[in-house]
Amino acid sequence: MIARDAALEVETVENDPVPMRVRASGEWTFSGLKTRRAEILRSIEELRRTAPSRVAWDLTPITDLDDTGALWLLRASRGVSEIEASAQQREILDRVSQASRVRIAMERPIDPYAPAVAIGEAAMRFGVHLRDATALLGRLVLEALALARRPRDTPFRELSAGVFRAGVAALPVTMLVGFLVGIVLTYLSALQLKRYGADLLVINIVGVGVVRELGPMLASIIAAGRSGSAMTAQLGVMRVTEEIEALQVMGVSVITRLVLPKVIALAIALPLVTFCTDLAALAGAMLVSRYTLGIAPEAFLEALPRAVETINFWIGIGKSAAFGFAVAFVACHYGLRVLPNTDSLASGVTRSVVAAITIVIILDAIFAILLRNVG
Amino acid sequence: MSADPGEYAITIDGLVNAVGPGQILHKDLNLQVRRDEVMTLVGGSGSGKTQLLRVILGLKRPVSGTVRVFGVSWEDPSFKKVRDARRRMGMLFQNGALFSALTVFDNVAFPLRERGGVSEKKIRAIVHAKLSEVELAPHHGTLLPASLSGGMVKRVALARALALAPDLVILDEPTAGLDPDRSERFVQLIQRLRADHRFAMLMVTHDLDTLFALTDRVAVLGDRHIIACGTLDEVRELPHPFVQSFFGGDRGRRALAHGGAAA
Repeated sequence: MIARDAALEVETVENDPVPMRVRASGEWTFSGLKTRRAEILRSIEELRRTAPSRVAWDLTPITDLDDTGALWLLRASRGVSEIEASAQQREILDRVSQASRVRIAMERPIDPYAPAVAIGEAAMRFGVHLRDATALLGRLVLEALALARRPRDTPFRELSAGVFRAGVAALPVTMLVGFLVGIVLTYLSALQLKRYGADLLVINIVGVGVVRELGPMLASIIAAGRSGSAMTAQLGVMRVTEEIEALQVMGVSVITRLVLPKVIALAIALPLVTFCTDLAALAGAMLVSRYTLGIAPEAFLEALPRAVETINFWIGIGKSAAFGFAVAFVACHYGLRVLPNTDSLASGVTRSVVAAITIVIILDAIFAILLRNVG
Repeated sequence: MSADPGEYAITIDGLVNAVGPGQILHKDLNLQVRRDEVMTLVGGSGSGKTQLLRVILGLKRPVSGTVRVFGVSWEDPSFKKVRDARRRMGMLFQNGALFSALTVFDNVAFPLRERGGVSEKKIRAIVHAKLSEVELAPHHGTLLPASLSGGMVKRVALARALALAPDLVILDEPTAGLDPDRSERFVQLIQRLRADHRFAMLMVTHDLDTLFALTDRVAVLGDRHIIACGTLDEVRELPHPFVQSFFGGDRGRRALAHGGAAA
């Protein structure tokens, strides 16, 4: 038999209650529909503009029908009651019709309660995290107290390695970011202050802003992305490879050996990194002040202590220690929850960074409220 | 009836174990592993062998029942008793679970350093001795786990498990991931080490060759408890569908012909 492409003929019969007579012929299959695809689509479009009650279909000349052809015919003849087809063709059309109905049923109607359900589920997940994080904090405190009674068991090596990795190794990138932010902040402030002849106030704004807020915040955010993700990944991989179970079987406390050193290390390292970030940001500020406002570096350095009270510096350092603890704690919390598969590891690291940054910002807001009358 | 904890390495009485709320995995499970025997735990997929092992290792708390290793429960309030019981136990994980950031030497030395009170010179001597027992040379000590073959990982993990000269060694699928030749050599290594050190052994394995070569008694886990526990000949008589399919058939007959009873 010679293969024939699918074809659609539309005949209009005058003075007939069903004037449009559609005749489908040829092979209504995936390959058969290729050649005259555009033409058939145009005809179907025109037919759609006619009321279904005025259209009759004759499918009997079709020589071959597959699911693709059946789908096209069902869509083209939607609502039409007069369809002449063979028993075999009806069977295929019914089957495809059922399948397409199921598909339509899966397009769920908009659930008006969906936002409330989503909020509820998120709240439940948050509740579970809060419970587990509280338990981890409790264990951390108990282990720290136990360690205070056995100081010889303090994991000094892990602690110093943590301070090096989170502190020294992070300095280049953090100081660079601090330097650039100092430049940008000073430049933008200078533009505005010049209008009012209050050029020298740039030292106050940038000085207090960097030392009290931006320095700790920048250092913490970079620490969350750099150190926090590394901590989560390390613990997550150790969970996947059963190294954590191996430690537990040997009676080694995972909290003392893995979590405590990280938390203490970042709480020590971050204030030091913040100090260096502050210096870099102020160096950037000094550079811009020199060339935009004509403030000599010596004048900048002389005015700085008067503009920025020492208490602001200590507030910034204190906040950094709290942020460091928070970032490491969140990283360890997510790391210990990683399941033994790569998806869980990837999503755990991502969530750890996002959660750490969010918590740092929330803590910063809390500190801002609590210390609003200080400095 | 509770067993006398004095003669048993592991005693489990009336264990009820769950994997989630309302999802009971084991109920009224009793098991004893003597101080001088090799016990193999077998069971179908989903019978909870791994979860039972986690309870025995103290990694998971059961719903109820008692688990004692050398007479000490993991819930014992005495930190020293629990620590000492752990030091009498060595574990070989299925994938080795070597500490990836430490060298082979530091991995084997780890339990010794944790124990404390052992000079670095003595640690060096013990580690080299352990590596030699598992047929590894001292120079392998400088390698990192990532550069080891599967067989070497198992050997180093075994050396680490034996570092403190334990009285009980637990092996989770000791020959998993090894080709037949290496598998046989590893089983022979375990036989030699056991003959030298006489530790009790609890093993989880699907490999019949390993089972027939090493085991004194078999415990079959099914229907949420131990459905059979005894010598190979005793257990193979049990008309339970799992037992018949596990030990019967061509696989079982070949393994029986090859391995025979354990020494």
